[in-house]
Amino acid sequence: MASRSRGALEREVIACLAAAGRPMTAADVRAELSMDLAYTTVMTTLSRLHAKNAIERVPQGRAYAYSLTGGPATARVNVVAHRMLRLLDDETDRAAVLTRFVGELQPGDEQLLTELLRGRE
Amino acid sequence: MIVLAATPLVVGVLAGLLGGRLGRRLQPRHAVPLLTGLALTVAVCTGIALSGLAVLALAQLGPISRLGHWSAHVLRADAGEPLALGLIALVAVVAILGAALVRALGSIYALSRAAYHARRLVPAAGNLVLVDDTEPVAYAVAGRIVMSRSLLAELPTDERRAVLAHEAAHVRHRHHLYVHLTAMSAAANPLLRPLVRAIGVGIERWADEEAAGAVRSREVTARGLARAALARDRTPALARSRTPGLAATDSAVAERVRALLDPAPVYRLPAALVFAGGLACWLAAAAVTWRTDELIQIAERALLRR
Repeated sequence: MASRSRGALEREVIACLAAAGRPMTAADVRAELSMDLAYTTVMTTLSRLHAKNAIERVPQGRAYAYSLTGGPATARVNVVAHRMLRLLDDETDRAAVLTRFVGELQPGDEQLLTELLRGRE
Repeated sequence: MIVLAATPLVVGVLAGLLGGRLGRRLQPRHAVPLLTGLALTVAVCTGIALSGLAVLALAQLGPISRLGHWSAHVLRADAGEPLALGLIALVAVVAILGAALVRALGSIYALSRAAYHARRLVPAAGNLVLVDDTEPVAYAVAGRIVMSRSLLAELPTDERRAVLAHEAAHVRHRHHLYVHLTAMSAAANPLLRPLVRAIGVGIERWADEEAAGAVRSREVTARGLARAALARDRTPALARSRTPGLAATDSAVAERVRALLDPAPVYRLPAALVFAGGLACWLAAAAVTWRTDELIQIAERALLRR
């Protein structure tokens, strides 16, 4: 298992909770992220995020179920700044203020990528 | 003298023509700093070499030679370059400085505006920002990583991790600086324009390699890339941001996927060539400066002797 930095693991946990869209226990998070992670590592990360108010928890059975504090509300709040950034990136396309993960596909790329996903899954 | 002054220009032509190809035969984490350094070197040395020619031309003008106490006549005889060439060099130097300055100010303005908007984003934790957007997007800006919830929903966990690692690499290595420095060099010297795209693709390749290292799988990274690109392609064009007008901003998805799945062999020669090109530029710039100084000193002595 590649070692993750503390920040990287926190980002993964947040992304995991956001993608799931439902409260998850530490065991759920661990199962989703990777069973190679120690349970205590996941627990520590969740506690740290909880201490920072990034996530909230409710008792569920003998454990806690965690979910994002802001959740969809924060994601909506961020939309304005996000739109401004994209406009800025479009108008100054040579100034490159954003490093985008993926851009426009060229003709023919679509087929290649579809085959990749189909062939290797 | 003219040959020396032309050296950075020749290296610039070669860098523009071959830079991208050389870069693909190196590790991206080496190729990006090397090519950025070469672009800066070519731009600066072109400026120095042309300045030398311009100074020689100006020094031959009557009023300036009287002011500096040297013989314009001797200088004209020794310099062996047409006055017109020096004046053209002068105009070129002014244009280069102006273009580089305008581009630098443009970069600073764009980056500070981006930083201003980025500060308004509320991170979910650390520097990870989640946004609502029908378009599946992920990008890094001003130290933050922004991902849309639609992209999160689209990706399996391991690919999500690869995307996060990719964006974290952009932030960690300050990739935008390479893009801006190269763009500035290319503004000063349009011969270098092809390098802007090479660097743009280079930083993506660099981040892809880091992501592949973090998730310990080139294939997972390639799949995440393919899935994100296809998901973006499926969103209605209206919701999508405008098609980038310039090749400099396309992210060369297919090229990156191929490089991940079928890594090209890495050689040492391209790095040596880039170094040699840079060295040639600096030597030529130094020689032009030294020769200009020498010619003016000779002209000064000629006046004293009389």
